[in-house]
Amino acid sequence: MLSAQERAHVAQVWDLIAGHEAAFGAELLLRLFTVYPSTKTYFKHLGVCPDEAQLLTHGQRVLEAVGVAVQHTDHLRAALSPLADLHAQVLRVDPANFPQLIQCFHVMLASHLQGEFTVQMQAAWDKFLTEVAVVLTEKYR
Amino acid sequence: MMVNMSLATCLGNSSRALKVSDFPPAMVLSHRLLVVYPWTQRFFDNFGNLSSTSAIMGNPKVKAHGKKVLTSFGDAIKNMDNLKGAFAKLSELHCDKLHVDPENFRLLGNVLVIILASHFGKEFTPDMQAMWQKLVAGVATALAHKYH
Repeated sequence: MLSAQERAHVAQVWDLIAGHEAAFGAELLLRLFTVYPSTKTYFKHLGVCPDEAQLLTHGQRVLEAVGVAVQHTDHLRAALSPLADLHAQVLRVDPANFPQLIQCFHVMLASHLQGEFTVQMQAAWDKFLTEVAVVLTEKYR
Repeated sequence: MMVNMSLATCLGNSSRALKVSDFPPAMVLSHRLLVVYPWTQRFFDNFGNLSSTSAIMGNPKVKAHGKKVLTSFGDAIKNMDNLKGAFAKLSELHCDKLHVDPENFRLLGNVLVIILASHFGKEFTPDMQAMWQKLVAGVATALAHKYH
């Protein structure tokens, strides 16, 4: 459960991303694939070296889902239920991969916000994204 | 860890660009770990006041720990051919005296990468992130190597 302060930090950072989901999503995926190449095994349809257009398309989808989570921090399970079904039944991404995506998310936020990415913001986003990951993998068994 | 010359050069350049002793990330590394992952405070009982975020941020022992860790990373960059050898004594210390779960080395390494991203901004490209993540992973493995 996020505190009011934590929810405020999450919303504040989301202001930077809103409207630019494709660009941020593409950067997120590029960092993920560069730093953790094994994650590409879940994106076979993008090929060995996904091009910019593919990263933008898929990145937008991922960040838009994060946006849904941001709007519904109080009832993540309900809001993300269809996505949780998708991950459990179709995508079946090993849960060990979510911390890697979360790390890349933090690095991306830090490189854009620099000094404004305070320790409280990092703590709030880490808690939030970890909760999202738990919800997305909860129906696995 | 296989030494890759361009990895060594790039890491050497980015770490030489900043003197470790006054490197801003050194000031906040351990603070970030203790605030973002509060359960890590279990290893710092003798560090004094860790009761709040501001207490942690102002704690001189915490700052000193961050600087010590960063200095170690500087040594790692000079010894990338033999991280396990370079960190053998530290590994024994962390196992036998400090009793630190190696998972914490991975957490600290990730926090360091985030702080570097914040310091370098747009220059912290995916490739640069990959190189630093590889280094911190190598150090974490080396620090866990002597555990028994």
